[in-house]
Amino acid sequence: MNPDLPMITIRNLKLDARTEHGPAHILRGIDLEFGRGRIVGVVGESGSGKSTLVSCLLRLLPSNIERLEGEILFDGIDLLKLSPSDMNDWRGRKIAMVFQDPMTALNPLFTINTHLRDVLKRRFPQISAREARERSLAMLTKVGISDASVRLDAYPHQLSGGMRQRIVIAMALLVEPDLLLADEPTTALDATVEAQIVDLFDQLRQDFSGSIVFISHHLGLVAELCDDLCVMYGGTIVETGPVAEVLARPRHPYTRALLDCEIEDDHGGRLATIPGEVPSATWAMDACIFASRCAHVADICRRGPTVLETVAIGHKAACKRSREVLP
Amino acid sequence: MRETLRYVASRLATTFLIVLGAMILLFALSALVPGDPATALLGPAATPEYVQRFIQEMGLDQPWYRRLFSFMGNVFVGNLGTDVLSGQPVTRIIANVLPYTFILTFSSIGLAVAFGVPLGCYAATHRGSLLDHLLAFVSVAFIAIPSFVIAIFLLLIFAIWLDWLPVMGAGEAGNWFDQAQRLILPTIALSVGWIGFIARLVRSSMLETMGENFIRLSRAYGLSNRLITYKYALKNACIPTLAVLGMGVGRLLGGAVLVEIVFSRPGLGRLMFDAISTRNFPVLQGTVLVVVLIFVLTNLLVDLSYAAIDPRIRRQGSR
Repeated sequence: MNPDLPMITIRNLKLDARTEHGPAHILRGIDLEFGRGRIVGVVGESGSGKSTLVSCLLRLLPSNIERLEGEILFDGIDLLKLSPSDMNDWRGRKIAMVFQDPMTALNPLFTINTHLRDVLKRRFPQISAREARERSLAMLTKVGISDASVRLDAYPHQLSGGMRQRIVIAMALLVEPDLLLADEPTTALDATVEAQIVDLFDQLRQDFSGSIVFISHHLGLVAELCDDLCVMYGGTIVETGPVAEVLARPRHPYTRALLDCEIEDDHGGRLATIPGEVPSATWAMDACIFASRCAHVADICRRGPTVLETVAIGHKAACKRSREVLP
Repeated sequence: MRETLRYVASRLATTFLIVLGAMILLFALSALVPGDPATALLGPAATPEYVQRFIQEMGLDQPWYRRLFSFMGNVFVGNLGTDVLSGQPVTRIIANVLPYTFILTFSSIGLAVAFGVPLGCYAATHRGSLLDHLLAFVSVAFIAIPSFVIAIFLLLIFAIWLDWLPVMGAGEAGNWFDQAQRLILPTIALSVGWIGFIARLVRSSMLETMGENFIRLSRAYGLSNRLITYKYALKNACIPTLAVLGMGVGRLLGGAVLVEIVFSRPGLGRLMFDAISTRNFPVLQGTVLVVVLIFVLTNLLVDLSYAAIDPRIRRQGSR
C-alpha cells in the first residue's frame, strides 16, 4: 500500500440499465479519486447517479444492469474484477454503509443487539457474545445514545428515526471500515435531527481513520462536513475539488446554479430554481450534459460532450466556457 | 412481559366469545331446520305415541331459551347429548375418533411444513432455477388435484400394485407400528397439496422480504447468504405462512372426510358425514362444536406464536 496513492480511484465508470426504451445511461463515465481520511461530499439532484455510484463501490446493484465498465481501484485492487465471494469479503470489513431511511434499515423482528452482534461476528469471527455486547454498548454511547443497555435490547420499532440512524451509524463504525458510504443519511429525518446527525459525523471524524463518501442533495450540509466536493449531474461529474475552493469559486454553471438555489437572493427572499429538466438517461450525450438548462449555452457547448478539465490545483470542472462565464 | 400477558389474556377472552357465539349459532340452526326434528329422526313409520315420548325425552317441548341454556350448560360440563341411533353419549363417540383425526391432521401439516418451507426457501433464493420452475408447475398441479384422487392413486400404486403398505383402516389398537404404517398414505394424500401451497407461499413472502431495505443492509455488511436467508428473511416470511397453517388445521379437521372414506379410517370428518346422511342431529351438533373448538384453539396458538415472532404485535395487543 503506497500512502501517496489515493485510496480510491474510479476511472471511466460507466453503467447502463436495461429499460423498455433501450439502455439507460445511469453513469456516463465517472472519474474520481480521493485519499485516506477524507470526507467526500457527493451532491446532485435525484437521478443524477449518486446513489448508483455508491452501490457500485459496494457492488450491490439491481439485476437490470446491462453494462458495467471502468475501474474502481481500492488500494490498487479493482473491485469490479473481484469474484462475487471475494467482493463479499470486502463488505462489512473494508467497506461499510449507512442507508438513507433508518425506518426500514433494521429488521423489525430482531433486537438491536442481534443486528450489531451478527455484523461484529462477521467482521471479527473470534469475538465472544459478551465482548460483542460490550463493544456495542460502548459504540452506542459514543454515537450519542443514552441508556445504551436498554436500547441494545430494544426492537427497532421502540426507537425513534434519529436513534435508529445513530444505531446504523454505530453498526458501520463497529466494523472499523476503511471506507464508509453514507447514502443521504439525513434526508429521511426531521431538520433538527438532521443537524444532530451531521454533528455526530463531524465528531466521529476525530477518531475515524477511514474515508467517508457522504451523499446529499443539500449543498450547505456538505459544505459544513466535507473536505472534498463532487457535483454530479445526469450521470456525470461536472465539478470536483476541495469544498472551500469549489464553493468559493464554482467553475461550472450547474454548481453556480445549485449555490443560488441554496442562498436566498436580496429581492423578496425567494429561492432561485434551475429551469428545464435533466436530459433523459437514454440520451446519447452528443453535447454538454447541462446544455439544455445552461444560462450560458453557446454553439461550442452543443459540439460533442464536455470532459472534466483542471481549472486550479485539485479543482476540475466540465465546462468549455468556464473561463469566459465564471472567471 | 406484562405486555405479553395482557396480550394472551385478551386473545383468550376473544376465543371464549367465539366459542360461545358458535354454540348459539349451532343451536339456532337446529331450531331453524325445517320440519319437526323428532319425525325427521324417527322416520315416517314411527307411531304418534312414540314421537310424543321422544319429544318429551329430548326436551323438544320446552321453550327455546330453556333449551338453549340446558344445551350450553351441558356443553360446559362436557355433555354433548346422546346419539339417537346407538344411545351412546356423543362425547364418547367423538373421543373415540378424535385421536385418529388429530394424528392425521398434524402429521399432514407437519409433513407439509417439513417439505414446503425448505422448498420455498430454495425456490426464492434460486429464482429461475430448474427446481423453481418445476416447483411452480408441480405445486399448482398438486393444489388443483383433490386429495381423494391422490389418495386413490396412492392406494393403487403402493397398496395394490407394489403391495408395500397395508392401508385399509386405522390399524390394530395398541399396535403402534401397524398404526404408523397405515398413517403414511393418508398423510401423503392430504399433504401434497399443502406442500405445494406452503412452498409457493414461503417463496413469495421470502422474495418480498428479500427486497426489503434491512436485507440490503445485511448484504452490505457481507453477512453470509445462509444467515440472511434462514435467520433474517425466513422469520419475516414465517408470518403469512403461520396464518395459512392455522386455516389448514381447520380445513383438515373436518375436511379429511373423503380421504378417510378412501382409506376407511375413522375420524371427525367421517363422523360428521355419517351424522348428516342419517340426520343424527346430536352427533352432528357435537362434532361441529368440537371442530370449532379445535379450530379456534389452533388459531389462538397461531396468534400467540405471531406475538412470539413479531414484537410489534405484542405491543398492539396491549393497547
